[in-house]
Order: sequence, then C-alpha cells, then structure tokens
Amino acid sequence: MSDVVGFCDLHYSPSLDALTTNRPFGCVSFLGRYGIIDFTLSNFSNSGINRVVILAKDNIHSVIDHIQSGQAWLNNTKTGFIQTVINERCINNPTFNTDVANLAANIAAFNLPDVDYYVLAPVHLLTSMDFRPIIDAHIQSKAKITMVYATVDNSKGQFKNCTSIKLDKTKKYIKSTRMHDNASKVDVSLDTFIFSKDALLDLLRMQKNISSLLSVADVIAFGVNGGTLKVNAYRHTNKVYPIFSLNDYMNTSFELLNHQERNHLFLDNWPIYTTTHDTPPSLYGPKSEVKNSFIANGSIIRGKVENSIISRDVTVEEGASIKNSIIFTRTTVGKDVHIENAVCDKDCNIRQVKNVVGSSDEYLIISKGENI
Amino acid sequence: MANELIAVVLAGGKGTRLEALTRKNAKPAVSFGAKYRIIDFSLSNCVNSGITTIGVLTQYEPTQLDSYVGNGEKWGLNGLHSLMTTLAPKQTDEGLAWYSGTADAITQNIDWIDSMDPENVLILSGDHIYKMTFNDMLWTHTSNNADVTIAVCEVSPEEAPRFGIMVTDDKGQITEFQEKPKVPKSNLASMGIYMFKWSVLRKLLKEDHKNPDSEHDFGKDIIPKMLNSGMKLMSYEYTGYWRDVGTIASLHQANMDIIDGVFTLDSFYDSNKIYTEDTYSLPHYVGTKGSVKSTIANQGAIILGKSDYCVISNEVVMEYDTVCDRCVIMAGAYIGKHAKVHNAIIAPGVKIGEYAEVNLGNDKVVLISQDVPAKEVR
Repeated sequence: MSDVVGFCDLHYSPSLDALTTNRPFGCVSFLGRYGIIDFTLSNFSNSGINRVVILAKDNIHSVIDHIQSGQAWLNNTKTGFIQTVINERCINNPTFNTDVANLAANIAAFNLPDVDYYVLAPVHLLTSMDFRPIIDAHIQSKAKITMVYATVDNSKGQFKNCTSIKLDKTKKYIKSTRMHDNASKVDVSLDTFIFSKDALLDLLRMQKNISSLLSVADVIAFGVNGGTLKVNAYRHTNKVYPIFSLNDYMNTSFELLNHQERNHLFLDNWPIYTTTHDTPPSLYGPKSEVKNSFIANGSIIRGKVENSIISRDVTVEEGASIKNSIIFTRTTVGKDVHIENAVCDKDCNIRQVKNVVGSSDEYLIISKGENI
Repeated sequence: MANELIAVVLAGGKGTRLEALTRKNAKPAVSFGAKYRIIDFSLSNCVNSGITTIGVLTQYEPTQLDSYVGNGEKWGLNGLHSLMTTLAPKQTDEGLAWYSGTADAITQNIDWIDSMDPENVLILSGDHIYKMTFNDMLWTHTSNNADVTIAVCEVSPEEAPRFGIMVTDDKGQITEFQEKPKVPKSNLASMGIYMFKWSVLRKLLKEDHKNPDSEHDFGKDIIPKMLNSGMKLMSYEYTGYWRDVGTIASLHQANMDIIDGVFTLDSFYDSNKIYTEDTYSLPHYVGTKGSVKSTIANQGAIILGKSDYCVISNEVVMEYDTVCDRCVIMAGAYIGKHAKVHNAIIAPGVKIGEYAEVNLGNDKVVLISQDVPAKEVR
C-alpha cells in the first residue's frame, strides 16, 4: 500500500452538544480509552496505509494533542506519516470550510509523485474496514471512483442521516443517491471513497464549477445523479455503528458493553490503536461494586459503578454511585454523589451536587472542568 | 560531550527461585503489578532521574528481554542524546566469555562505557521493585568526592543476615562491610546500587580481571578491596519501598503490597511514572455478575467472576462463577467457569479448567505454571 494516501475526514462532524464545543467530534473520548478518530486511523494502519492526512475542520489543538507524532498508528515512522491539515482561510468562515476546500488548500501534502490512489474515510460511522480488498476491486473495475456502501436496517432511523443509494442493473455502479430512506433494508453510502489520483484532482476542480459549499460526498452525489460521474460500488459487510447525535453516542457506547456486540467492532487481528498515557492499572477498594462496565487504567474505584464507562484516571469515592453514565478522564466523583444517565467531561470535580441525573432520552452533560 | 552519569543495569541473572516463571525468561522480564515487568522499575527510575544513557547487561535467556528493551523507546530513550542498548556476552579476540560475575560483566564492557565518556557510572540491578530517583544520591556522591556511593536501606535484625551490611560513621562514610553476616553490626543493607567514579572503577576492574582468586563480584571483591585500600565509600540512605522479589512468596507479597497501598504505583499527579509497554486492549470489563474488590486490574482483562485481593493482568479472562482470592494472575491466563483459586501466582497464558479447585485453604503461595485440567462434576 505504498502508493496510497489515506484521508481521515473530520469535516463531517455531528454535534454532541457540550462535548463538541471545544473539540472536534473525532477527538471525543470513546469506551474510556479511545478517541472516535482511532477507528478510522487504525483501519488505515491495519490495511497497511502508512501515509495519512487528517483533514481537520477546527479545534486543531485537540487533534494535535491526540495524534502527537502519529507514531501510535504508523507501521514505519520514516516512510510513513500522519499529517494534520486545516484550511486556514476558512477557519472563521465555517460555511465554506468544506473538505474539498481543505484538500485544495493543502494539495502539496498529498499530491506526491509515487501516489496512485487515495482513500477518504469519515469518522462518524464506526466500523472495522480493510481497505486492501476495496482498493483491489477499485483497480479491477477500472473505475476512477469507488464508493463503499453497506446494506443496513434503517427501520429505527439510525441511518437516517446517511445518503441512500441505488445500484444499476449490473450491481456494479451507483445509479442514483437520495437522502432519508427509512426502509428496513437499505443501501447507504459510508462516505468512504477510493479515488484514482487524477479523479480526486478532477473532483476538486469540479466542485468549483458547481458550488463552493459542497463536500466530497456532495460532489459525487451530484455527479452520479447528473450522470457525469461513473462511480463503482463496493459493499462493506462488517457491522457499522453510526453516530449522529449525543443519544447515538451514549447508546452505542452502552451497546458495546455487550460482549457479542463488541465482537462486531473489535475483530481478531484488527487492533484499534491509540496514544498511550502510561497510566497504572486500576485500583479497586474493599467496598467497590462494579457491574457491566468498562474501567480504564489509572482509575480508583471505591464506590458503585453499573452499566457505565469509566475513563483513565477517574476517582470514584466510597459511597458514590454511577449508573448508565460515561465519565471522562481525570474526573472525580465524590462521596455519596449519585450519577445516572449522564456524561461527565474530563477534569470535573463533582462533590457538592449529590444528584446528577438525566434520562435515557435526554442525557445530562457536565462540561469539561466543572467543579460542582 | 562528557556524560555526568550513565547507568548500567545488571539483567543477566536467572532468578532460579522464581521456578518456572524464569524457565524461558530472564528474571527482569517477569511481569509485576498487572502491567509491568520487573525491569521497568530500574529503567523508569533512571529515566526519571534524567539519565539518558543506559546499558542493559543480559545473559540468561536474553531473547524476550532484548526485544522488550529494544531501543528504549518505551521509556522515552529514543530522544536526542539518549541511548539504550543491551550488552550481551560476546566472542572477541580473546575467545568467548560468559559474564562470570557482576564486576566481570562490567569489565567486559569497558570499551562501551569508555565510548560514552562518563564521569560516573551507576550500576544497578534490574530485578528490584522500588521507586527512587538518583539525583540526591549523585549529589551525595559528588559533594563528598566519593570513589563510590552505595545506596542502603534499613532492614530488621532478623533480615540482616540475608544482605550485605554496611557499617557507617556519623557522616555516612562506610567504614566496614559485612557480606551476609551472622552477627550484623548495623541495620543498613546494601541495595546493590553502586555509583562509581568511572576512572576509579575502571582501574579496579582491570586489576580484578587479572586476579585469579577473585569471583569478580562487586559485593565480594570490589567493595572490600576499596575499603582495604582506603578509598572513600559513602552510603546513601533510601527510606522508601524496596524489594528484591527473588522468590514466589516475595513476588506474590510485593504484588499484594500494591493493593494494600504499601507500595503505590504512579498516577496522574505523580511525576515519577513507571513506564512500560502498552497493549492495544480495551479497558478491562467487569461483567453483570462480576464482583471486584481490593484488586488491581489492567486493561484488556475480562472479569465475569469474583475477584478479591487479586492482581489481574492484561488479557486475563475470568469466566462466570469463578472465585479468585489472593491471586496474581499474569497476562493472558484463563480461569474456566466455576473454578476457584486461592493464594497463587498464575503464570502467563495458563488455563485453569472448569470447576478446578486450586490451593484452597493453603497459606503457602503456589505457582501455577501449567494448565490445570477441568474437574468433573456429577
């Protein structure tokens, strides 16, 4: 995969309310240890794609802080790189801050002489994806662009924000796309594309002629529907977990507490890499009671934790109880505090307020650094 | 650029009393505290003291240890002016020679140490559990213009006969050394941590190498010789936690000490972290029917049963209805359904069969290094 550059596209970033005020969606903590972006980056690493450009939209400090030197995801630190790029000119002009504009502004980062293919993948559709067979299929099809799609059950509307697609008679090409299809069995685009080199450069030019507001996915949809682009289709069969909202984020997290569910996302021989923080193992006190929960390293658990996710270096004091909640890094839950259906961002100190309770329809958020 | 202090870590020992844990593995590479290997403590102590050049002397079963130590990246030793290397016995013009003693191991690497151009060399053991920085010790060493400074710690009169005992004057200068004495004259034991002036040590080693009666050992030969020839030997007293985990029982106890808070591992507010290898594991998971009390658990573990007073390493699986108490469960071990284990160290990757009952009611700690078959239940 030495002739491939991967793009990790952070431009499509659903809002998770207060959790995404000061950080991009991709940098939100997940399952106590990961950043959401780790899944896409690990898909690149595990597929042998050693050169990756992260298309950041805003809050780049958070991205840099998480990625550091990129070493955690690189097979070789000399031949490979993870570079984070932003579109400087559009930082204060979010309407025009598209992935297309970002790519156009940073063309030198990826327009390398030894590159033949590009892979572009978003971060909000969590899945384990091996790009190698997709690139092989792309090459065989002789198409310029391949779209990766999945056949999903959308009866509950989990995929309602995805673009649904129709295949042509040969089942090889995308015939048309449209939004919002609440069918029980529907083919949806995973906003993941393989480009032959020229096709990507053409697409950047094409956007200019249509509208400066369009994203890569929009331009492709426009081209397909207008008959100007022939796009090959590739069906991805591993389970996809879409996250479009805070409720999706919370429910997916809790869903993955289940062992069988977890095996759909965490496959054998497909490790999810992340930055290491050299935290010691967790310590449980003599009165701790923990059920159905993830506990990350560095935590000290002396109270009750149920159906919850406890991140790094969290302290749960004696008499505290946490239920159906997610606690981020370095937060302390003091004596006799009860937390239920809530998410506490990092560096919080919860002592005075004894009841932090939301509901499973409307989870309560305690913002970063709150001292309550 | 001259180096004020470099470190050489002795990691070649077999650790015979750790039984099967060191059958295919050097003692410093044995796991400790759910996440670490024993050598992490010495290496992290060096790194936290600002030492940037470390040689690790290996000999017994070095493969795992070599690949673990690597270029020192796990301890941040891949930075500017940093160097970590393993130093194994080698074939030279003079033939093939194993390290025949702690001092001989250094003698055989004089050329490497010379190339680092150090003023002082810190020699320490790779198989002790402790958290200590060497900056104060270096200050004691240089401000007293000592030829060697030896770290000591207080031991009880009962324990003293197991150690090298240092007798010191009121300024901390060592006046007498007793190797494993029956009647100790002091309660200060050598921790096997020596800070030498390199010019002095170099000369001593060359002489010792030519002495056919020498065992080429620091405690037995080099230190007594320095005392006899009137050199300046200083002691540096360390008061924190320090253990030589040489036996199954002491390895088990030191693990339990973390749970009891006798020995605390680092946390986010502690600048003296212990660095180690990271595994790409999920945070550990405690099941719906799990119960975890007074326990240390590392990422990657799946705990569906009951754990009381256990140290649970990464990728350990404790199935439903298991009961483990006072166990040190090393990486990748699997405890089958309904199995009960008491007071044991379970070696890496060992499988305990369903309904098996191991060491119940026994006060003596056992090492389980082979799979335990399932027990038939009628």
